[in-house]
Parts: sequence; structure tokens; C-alpha cells
Amino acid sequence: MEVLKEKVEEEEAAEREEAAERAERGEKTKKPTEVRREETTLTQEMLRDLERKLSEIEVSVPEKLLTFTKDTIDTSKLPLSYQSNTLKEEHLLQVADNFSCQYSHLCPDRVPLFLHPLNECEVPKFVSTTIRPTLMPYPELYNWDTCAQFVSDFLSMVPLPDPLKPPLYLYSSTTVLKYQKGNCFDFSTLLCSMLIGAGYDAYCVNGYGSQDLCLMDLTREVCPLTLKPKETVKEEEKAPPKKYAIKPPRDLTSRFEQQQEVKRQEAIKAEEENRRKQEEARLLEQENAKTDPLHGLRVHSWVLVLSGKREVPESFFIDPFTAHSYSTQDDHFLGIESLWNHKNYWVNMQDCWNCCKELVFDLGDPARWEYLLLGTDKPFLSLTEEEDEGMNDDDDVEKLGKEDEDKSLDMPPSWVEQIEISPEAFETRCPNGKKVIQYKRAKLEKWAPYLNNNGLVCRLTTYEDLECTKTLEVKEWYQNREDMLELKHINKITGLNVDYFKPGHPQALRMHSYKSMQPEMDRVMEFYETARVDGLIKREETPKTMTEYYQGRPDFLSYRHVNFGPRMKKLALNSAESNPRPMVKITERFFRNPAKPADEDVAERVFLIAEERIQLRYHCRSDHITANKREFLRRMEVDSKGNKIIMTSDMCISFEVEPMEHTKKLLYQYEAMMKLKNEEKLSRHQAWESELEVLEILKLREEEEEAHTLTISIYDTKRNEKSKEYREAMERVLHEEHLRQVEAQLDYLAPFLAQLPPGEKLTRWQAVRLKDECLNDFKQRLIDKANLIQARFEKETQELQKKQQWYQENQVTLTPEDEDLYLSYCSQAMFRIRILEQRLSRHKELAPLKYLALEEKLYKDPRLVELLKVFV
Amino acid sequence: MNRLYDMEPRVMDDEMLKLAVGQQGPREEAGQLAKQEGIPFKDVLSLQLDFQNILRIDNLWQFESLRKLQLDNNIIEKIEGLENLTHLVWLDLSFNNIEAIEGLDTLVNLEDLSLFNNRISKIDSLDALGKLQVLSLGNNHIGNMMNIIYLRRFKALRTLSLSGNPVAENEDYKMFICAYLPDLVYLDFRRLDDHMKELAEMKHQYSIDELKHRENLMQAQLEDEQARREELEEHKAAFVEQLNGTFLFDSMYAEDMEGSKLSNLPGVGELLETYPSGRPPPRQPTPQAVHPPRQLQPSLTASFTYKDKFVIICLNIFEYGLKQQEKRKAELETFMECVQEAIQENQEQGKLKIAKFEEKHLLSLNAIREESELSNIETKIVEHSEDITALLNVLMTLEMQLVEQLEETINMFERNIIDLVGLFVENVQSLYPFLEDPLGRHSCLARPWLNSGCTMAQCRDLENHHHEKLLEIAINILEKMVKGEMDEDLPDDLRSLFIDKDTIVNAVGASHDIHLLKIDNREDELVTRVNSWCTHLLDKIHKDEIMRNRKRVKEINQYIDHVQSELDSLEYGDLLD
Repeated sequence: MEVLKEKVEEEEAAEREEAAERAERGEKTKKPTEVRREETTLTQEMLRDLERKLSEIEVSVPEKLLTFTKDTIDTSKLPLSYQSNTLKEEHLLQVADNFSCQYSHLCPDRVPLFLHPLNECEVPKFVSTTIRPTLMPYPELYNWDTCAQFVSDFLSMVPLPDPLKPPLYLYSSTTVLKYQKGNCFDFSTLLCSMLIGAGYDAYCVNGYGSQDLCLMDLTREVCPLTLKPKETVKEEEKAPPKKYAIKPPRDLTSRFEQQQEVKRQEAIKAEEENRRKQEEARLLEQENAKTDPLHGLRVHSWVLVLSGKREVPESFFIDPFTAHSYSTQDDHFLGIESLWNHKNYWVNMQDCWNCCKELVFDLGDPARWEYLLLGTDKPFLSLTEEEDEGMNDDDDVEKLGKEDEDKSLDMPPSWVEQIEISPEAFETRCPNGKKVIQYKRAKLEKWAPYLNNNGLVCRLTTYEDLECTKTLEVKEWYQNREDMLELKHINKITGLNVDYFKPGHPQALRMHSYKSMQPEMDRVMEFYETARVDGLIKREETPKTMTEYYQGRPDFLSYRHVNFGPRMKKLALNSAESNPRPMVKITERFFRNPAKPADEDVAERVFLIAEERIQLRYHCRSDHITANKREFLRRMEVDSKGNKIIMTSDMCISFEVEPMEHTKKLLYQYEAMMKLKNEEKLSRHQAWESELEVLEILKLREEEEEAHTLTISIYDTKRNEKSKEYREAMERVLHEEHLRQVEAQLDYLAPFLAQLPPGEKLTRWQAVRLKDECLNDFKQRLIDKANLIQARFEKETQELQKKQQWYQENQVTLTPEDEDLYLSYCSQAMFRIRILEQRLSRHKELAPLKYLALEEKLYKDPRLVELLKVFV
Repeated sequence: MNRLYDMEPRVMDDEMLKLAVGQQGPREEAGQLAKQEGIPFKDVLSLQLDFQNILRIDNLWQFESLRKLQLDNNIIEKIEGLENLTHLVWLDLSFNNIEAIEGLDTLVNLEDLSLFNNRISKIDSLDALGKLQVLSLGNNHIGNMMNIIYLRRFKALRTLSLSGNPVAENEDYKMFICAYLPDLVYLDFRRLDDHMKELAEMKHQYSIDELKHRENLMQAQLEDEQARREELEEHKAAFVEQLNGTFLFDSMYAEDMEGSKLSNLPGVGELLETYPSGRPPPRQPTPQAVHPPRQLQPSLTASFTYKDKFVIICLNIFEYGLKQQEKRKAELETFMECVQEAIQENQEQGKLKIAKFEEKHLLSLNAIREESELSNIETKIVEHSEDITALLNVLMTLEMQLVEQLEETINMFERNIIDLVGLFVENVQSLYPFLEDPLGRHSCLARPWLNSGCTMAQCRDLENHHHEKLLEIAINILEKMVKGEMDEDLPDDLRSLFIDKDTIVNAVGASHDIHLLKIDNREDELVTRVNSWCTHLLDKIHKDEIMRNRKRVKEINQYIDHVQSELDSLEYGDLLD
């Protein structure tokens, strides 16, 4: 066992060694190669020691990078352009080397340029040719923000092997997309390709970034989703006072006192502000406590988008890791070495002492940006060009030569294959469809649609503290839910859940906020009122009340408030029905009904059910400040004689702003009261129905949560099982149909061709013979067929004759049955003979035609047509 | 039809109506109440008076709000006495002896009219019933197909019955109706199908097209007239009607016998632009479509005749008047808007105060009701009545404040509008030259060849000038005639004027006087009307404001009384307890 284990370990060690060696080799190609071959002769201990060391090294270099090397990339299948350089590329590399030499000579204190890293096939490729401008077929990827978001989602980030140096390898975007992994250079190359394809003036930048930027550390960033959109304070423009605007009444308060008060308030405010600021500063300090020792040295690559194209008003940076855009003055970007697009390569000649804040992105200015190729369509400032032309005449010769050289050397086309993203990959987006981003006090998780079977696509968890231990609230976004649930907002502190729905919920739910799913608790439901017949907008519930808001109802009801009393104890539990709470008071409010005069249009009515009272308040007329009121006491009384009093004047107390005649009548009051009684019943019923509806919705919600089925669009051919089945069936049918057709088209030449040696070309003689044979054969067949019919005909006739003879001989002795038999035979035979006759004549008619048709066909047969042409 | 003749005709008297109303009124408990109180006729909505042997419709004037009236199966011979029932929607007069449709001109809300089984022979006098939907004219004596065309004017008509008329025996009857009344849905209680309608339309296409064309023409004419009337109305509101043409000039010569005679003098015609000699004047602005003066070529300046100049001045006055009218209108609008806003704001404040009070009011009433201790009750009542007084004070203060504010505004408006009107009048009369009027200055600048503004005074100057010239010509001619150098033939009536100098001078002078009088009259009319408009407007504004104030004060008092009485009744009730 021991030995075996050792052996295994040895093998492993060897493997790792190789890997490390490769990494090492990659890293130090420019340095004289270190001899490591000796190690093979080392002792076991040393080997183990080494193994330990190497394993340590491996830990320091993330394993991912190692797995993402040639081992996993099948280089053999890559196209030729990946594996070799064209002449032009070679030439370009020479130019680049030359440029690099000159550069290092002129600027000895600057780091070597990032010009031609190796690709996945170990072939040096110039960085500009690695950019492959591509316009994606997805309309979502037409704008820079969505594009960047896609790149940042689609690839998972691998840190640079050496954070202080640009990588030695720069893979093609196709490979990167295939493995969905990459470092910042891979990210920015891909993004740049897409942006240039979409028409932006985009550049890959090789420079230096802050630690957060390089390591994609967002823990100090505030999550953009948690930021509340700033409420734009709209300054309501005050219309200039009109000519006849009334003067406000004279203000009789002391101005001095007001001033004092304002001063006091301001002082308090300032103090608060101060305190807050101090607090903030302290927090900030805390956060920024650990500073980066490698600040300013960390290599990063990002994308620069220059203004001008695609209506970009101002140049900006995009960090490909996070897809955030930054202004060119941002603190995160500490310097630029060089930048390139698919056409050219520029070296920054400006000082970066103050980060990128003072850089001028005028690439046509050779004093600031040293170009590699004399670009053809770079936006040179026409001014400088003119200056150049006019200024140095003596340089002309030199320049001419340079130009000639450069002209012959425009950038070769990209060696990278067309960048393609399959629709599935596009939809899945993140590697394995999942991505987690840690923000400051927040965690954002993303999933591809349909990945989670409850439709969850995004979850944002906000925390109270920086260490992310105490959860504040959770927001979950859903997609493709059958119940149209869009967002679930859970506040962990208050325990309040808020569900938001898209239009289309069976109960037209828009929002549901609750603490528990138990009925008769605090909850708010909002609805899409246009989808509801009753125009309900919102229903608020507390244990004792229910308030409903309506809009757009034909009866102008806008508000109903129901107060419930304590539930009465049921004496007998015989009825299975639920025990609804008794209603104590129903308040209803109405919008103004323009068809009625204001003082007959009820604005509010209150049914005091327990007291048997009904209060009405009418709308206020536009020129009044008081409104009519009326109160009905519904108590039925019996007078002294025992007669029921139908209506007395004290049962209706009313206040009328402009007293009216007809409302004084008892009859009017009686009728009004009767109507109200009916309406009270109706309102109670409606309130009761609302309660039922709440129960129903709660039940439905529970069921939906349980089932969480997802909808599939009918256009989604992959996921839609039904349509898939149908399509497959259709395909099957088509296939069968095709098979049948193939069968039907029999090859009439096949038996004759089979006689000839296969694979040889037909000679003319052979072709003629073939044709003749074929025709002869067919003629024979036709004749045979005619003979066959003739023979049958003759046979039938003979038989008939025989029978007739027999009949005539035995006519006397025959029984009636036999005679019948004979007669029926005769008629049948005659029929057969007639048919045969017809067939024969038809055959005689058709045979020559058929023969001619075959001949024609043979003349036109593709195999013979060439050879038979002469004879036609 | 004469089934009821053997019975005594009855009169629609009070008794009959009362009985009918009582029988058809509310039932059961409500009926008892109704009996107690009695039902006033003016509240009745529906009345049924069938089989009553009524001969004459009468005594219905009290039923002002009646919606449905059934008078079928009587022996009525004439439709009358329905003038007051303007709210009537449904009228049933079937099975009577009516011979002509009449007396329905005030029933503009009528939707359903039944005249079934009568003796009507012609459909007409229904013009006022614009909302008519159902018309039943079966079993009558209508014989002329052309009656149906009359029904085309009822755009809402959907149901028609004409069976049992001589018309209905015509074989083309149905087709004809379908074609001429395409919106009809039911004919003789049967639905008309689309196929039928199409057929009918094809059949009668030509005549219908012609009819439609005629109707369209008529409509266009009506609209035209309406537009013209509106325009005139607008001009009248600007007090410059008929100044946009030769109207004033024409009227000057309309009553001027001498003037028209004199215009035949040689030389005068040119002066007058050959007017009014019967030949059409070449550059006469049409009365409706005004030629703006700027369309006239400046090169013609020299040859501007008296008439041209006069008309141009009139036009200037007209334009100026319209502009001023716009100004006044805008002024009035801003004023009204501001006043409305102020009132609205004040009302909102008042409402807010009342709403606040009402809450408190309810609470304290409840508190008093529930309070058991007498002393507490009293203190609370006192407190509450103090609150009420406070409310009264607040509301009254608000109102007084508004009154003051409005008074100030109204005064300001008054000053401005009087200034505006004064300016207008002055400029038209030209007591002052154009100084502050941009239009006047503009017109002078833009038309330098016209060194004239747009004032009546200029009209007068022009007339004087013309008069002088005319006089000169006349005297010249007279002199010529006296010398016998006159070679031209003058008409006899004209020659009779040239008897001696006095006659001719008098004639010319009379003509001049008439002209001046016309100009003065027009000016006076304009000035008086604009002034009266101004005074009326101001009066109305003041009156409205006073009315508003009174109403509001009354409203506040009423409300306070009501609240106080509520409190009092509570007090009273408590004391009883």
C-alpha cells in the first residue's frame, strides 16, 4: 500500500510539476530559462519537499487559472488562424517588436508594452487583432450598458496570475466565451469587440486600477438596487400673479419673532448636520482602514468609450467586471499604459501622477498618444495634421518613407473566429446560470430564468452591519410565474411581507402586503382596477376594520369602510357556514355624480347598524361652503293606539343649505328611507362578499405559492413541451412522406446499370446500348402484358364455349337450379370477357404512348443525356 | 271608431285628475302617507287617463314634471293643452279622433309618441321633437308617400308604424321607407333586415342622392347663415358692425337725392369713383370679404378717390374696434378668473374650517350625551357654544376679508375697463391723435400713403374736403352754364339745380349735411352703445358680488343656527332626563 500510495503521489507530483513549469515558463519567457530538469534526479525527500512547496505555490495561484490553460482547451480543434500567423501578422509582430525596442530605449523607466501576448495555441498575436468587432444578433446587446452587463454576467472573473503585470496569455474571445472564464483583459477584449461591433468608439485599456477594481471587490460599493431613485424635487413654477389677483390679507405676526424662530431652527439643523457628518466620516474611516500596499501598481484592463459615435456625449470608462461606467476622472483608475482598438495601438505619453484625471483622450495628438501604426481613419485633429505638414519640411523624406512602410501595414484582420453566443447561453447568462455579488451591506444573487423552479431570478439581501450577519430585508424578483408574482419584499425586522404582481393575476392583484396569511389580520391588497369589474383599487384590513377604495364605478362609490364588532358566540354549532363578524358601522363615500345637482348627490353615507341610524352627507355645491345633511332614525315605533307609526317628522332630521320644498314631505322621506334600507342591505352584502373574497384570495395565494408553476411562452420552442411534441410529430410525418416519395421514384435504369462495372463512366456505345436494352425490355414487357391479357381472354372464351356446348347437350335433363347456375355463370363470364376485351384494347392504345414516354424519359435522363445528345 | 259616441263625453276636471293621481300613486304604507299629505300635481311623473271618454284635453297645466301621459281610448279631437308638460317623454294619444298633428311644439323631450288609430292624414308639425325615437301612426289616413320624407329630420327615430294607412297599401311602401329612413330599425313592429335595406337603397339610389344633395345644400346654407350671423354678432359686440365695407358710405348716399344727382356732374364721378351711377365700381371692397387696405397698390395713392379713402378709414376703424374688443375681452376674462380663484380659495378655507369643526362638534356632542354629571354637562355646553361662536367669527372674518379683497379688485377692474372704453371712444372720435395705440401707429407707419388714421373725425374731414371740391365743381359748371360754354348735356333734373347759385349751393350743402349727419349718427351710436355696455357690465359685477356676499352670510348664519339648535335640543333633552 505504502509503495502504491507513494507512486500515486509521485505521479501527482509530476503532474503538478509540469503544470507549474508551464505556468512558470509562461511567466518568464523573457528571462533566461531556469533549469529545472535537474529535479528529476532529486531524492524522494527533496521531491516531497518540493511537492509541498509546489502545492503551496499552487495555493497562492488560484487553481482556476491552472485549470483554465491548455490542458482544458483542445487546441487541435481550433482553426488554422489560431495556430499560426499569416505573413502580414508576422510583419506586424516585427513592427511591434521594433516599436517596443524603440519605446524601451526612449522610455527606459517604463514597463514593457503589452503588445503581443500568446494565444491559447502559444502563438504570439498582436492585441489589436484579438479584437473581433461583432454586432450581436440580440437587440438587448445594442447599447453599451446592457452589453457590459452581459459580459460581466456571462464570464466569471479570474484574477491575473501576477497582479502587477499584464498576463502572458490573451485568449481569443471565442475560447473565453466557451469556458466562461477570464481575467480583466479577456473581459475587456470581449466587451470591446461587442461595443465596436455595435458602433461605439471603444478601446481596450491597459492600465492600473485600485484594489477593489482589480479584484472585483464590490463590498465597499453600495448596491445600485438598494439606492432609492432620487426624488426630483420639482419646483412648481408659480404662475406670475395675474393682473387682478387679490391681495393677501395683511400679515399681522411679528417678523422679528419669525426671524428668531428661523434662526433657532437653523442652529439645531446645523448641529444635527454636523453630528451626522462626523458620524459619516468616522464610518468612512473605518471602512477605508486597510489600505492597499500595492496601490497604484495593480494592473487592470478596462474599456474606454470615446464620445462622438452613437451619440455618446462624453467619454467614459467601463469596468468590464462590474459593468459600471465611470467618468474618466474616477478615483478607481490610477493610470494608463496603453490602449488599443481593432485598428491601432496607442501608448500613453502623459503623466499619470494624478490618476487619470488630467489625461486628454485626443488620440490624434502624437505628443500625448504615441501610435504604433499610422492609422488611416483615426480621428486625427485636422489642426495638428496641417501643422505637421506645414512645419517640418526636412522630415518629409523620413516621413514619406515611414508612411510608405505604414501604408503597406494596416492592421491585419482579426485572427479570432466570429464571436457567437447561442440563445441558450444568452438566456442562461451567468456560468451555470448563477451569480453572486457581494456589495456593501448587501448581497445580490442572480439566476437564469427557469433555473429555479419557483421562477426566482434575483435576490437582494440587505444587512444591517458590514459583516453581513444581521439581515435587514430580502427582495426577491421572479419571472415567468403563472401567478404573475414579480417581486417579493420581506422586511425581516417588522416581519412585513410585500408581494408585487404584474398585470394578469386571476384576481387582478397588484400588491399584497401582509404579516401573516391568516385572515382578519393587518393586510393591504392593491388591485389593477381596470381589470376588475367592481373597480376596486385597494383593500386595507385591520383586525377590526376593512377599508376599500374604488374608482370608475357607475354608482360613483369611492370608499367603503366597515367596522366589525366582536364575533358573537354561536349557540349551536349546527350550521357549517362560517360565522361572520357582525358589522357595526359601514361608511361609504361617493364621487360627485355630474348628472345630479350637488345638493341631491350623496357624498357620504354612514350606516350605524347597531343604532339603526343612517347618516347622509351631500356634496357641497360649488358656490357653497356647507353641505346638506340628513339623518334617519330607523326605529319603528308604535303609537298609543297600537298602530304602527310609519313615518314621523322626527325620524328624519335634515339640514339643508337652501331649504327645499319637496324634501319636507313625509312621503319623500319615507321613500328615501326605504331606499336606504335596501341599500344598507346591499352594502352589508357587498362587505360580506369582500370578506369572502379575501379568504378566497388568501387560499389562492397559498395554492399558488405551493404550486409555483411557471408559464412558458408559445414562442419558446425549447421549453414548450406541447409545441415540441407537435413539431416532432410533424417532422416525423414529413420524414415518412419523404421516404414514400423516394420509394415511388423507382430507377428504371438501375437493373441495366448494375450489369455494368460500377464507378466507371459510361461510354457512348454503352449508353446507346443501355438505352436500347431498356427500351427493348420495356417493349417486351408491354408485349408480355398484351399476351397475358390475350391469353386470359382466350381462356375465358374457350371456357364459355365449352359451357355453352355442355348446356346445349344437357339442356333437357337440367334441373332449374342448374340452369340458374349456368345462366349466372354465363353472365359473369360475359362480363369478364368484356372487361378483358376492354383492357386489351386499352393496352393496345396506351402501349405505344407508354413506350414513347419512356424513350423520352431516357433521353432526358441525367446519366445518359450527354451521351445520347447526338442521336436526338 | 264611433264606439264611444253613445256615451256622454266627460270633462277633465280636478276631481277626475285627483282620482287618477290617487289611484296611480304610491301603495300601502307610502300610500297612507300620501293620503295624509296629499300629492301635488306638479310632482306627478306618470298619469294614465284611458277609457275616460274625454273629449277635450284640459287642466293639465299643473303637471309640470310629468314624464308619461296616457290619453288613449278617448274621443279627443284636437291635441291641445299640453304646452306646459315640457318634460314629457312618453305621450299616448292612440284610439282617439284626432285629425291633425298640432300643439306639440313645446314637448322637446318627447321620445315616444303614439297616434295610432286616429284620423290623421298628414305628418307635420313635429319639428320640435328632436329626440323622437318611436312614432306610431298606424290606422290613420295618411295617403301621400311624400309624408315619409318629412320624417328624415328625426335623426333618433328607430321605430315607426304606418300600417293601416292608405300609404301602406302601396307595393313599394316598405322599400320606400327603408330607402328614405336608413336609420330605422323597426317598421310596423318588425325588424328591418340589412338585405332589405340594401335592396331598397339600390332601388331608390338616384332620388335619394338627389335628396341628400339638396339637404346638404340646405344644411350648408343654414350653416353659412349661422356663421354670418355669428360674425355680425361678434362685430356688434365690438360696436363696429358694418364698418368693414361700403355700408356707411352707401347709407350716406341712400337718402341723399341731391348727392346722387350731383354725382352725375362731370368730374364729380371721378371724385366719387363713378358712384352711384349704376355701373359697378371697379375697386369696391365686397361687403363680407374685406379687402385689407394693404392690398391696394401704393402706386395708386394719387388716384385714391373719395370713396376709397372713406372705405379705408372705415376699415381701419373696424379693425381697431375688433382689436379693442379682444383687449376688453381678455381683460374681463382675467378679471373673472381671478375673482373665481379668490372665491374658490376662500371657500376651500371655509370648508376646511367647517370640516374641522364638524369633527369636534360630533365628539363634543357625544361627550355631552354620555356625561352624567350636571355641572360637567353645563360647562361642556358652554364650551361648545363658545366653539360655535368662534366658528361663526372665523367664517365671518373670512367672508369680510374676501369682500374687501374683491372690492379692491373690482374697483381696479372698473378703472381699467373705463379707461379702455374711454380710449376706444376717444380714438374713434379722434379727440386725441393716436399716441398710445399701437395699432394706429402701426397703420400709419405701414401705410404712409394714407396719411389718415381711422377716426370719425377724419371721415368728417374727408367729407368736408369732398364738399369743398364738389362745391367748386358745381360753381364752375354753373359759371360755364351761365357763360353758355357748357357743351355737355346734363340730365334735366340735374339741370334744374343749376338755376342759380343759391340753389346749387343749397343742394350741395344739403347733401353735405346729410352726409355729416350719417357720420355723426354712426359715431353717436357707437359711443352710446359702448358706454352702456360698460355701465351694464360694471353694474352686473357689483350686483353679483353683493348677491354672493348676502348668500354666503345667509349660509353661514343658517349653518350656525343649525349647529346651535342641535346643541340646544341636546340640552333640552338632557334637562328632560
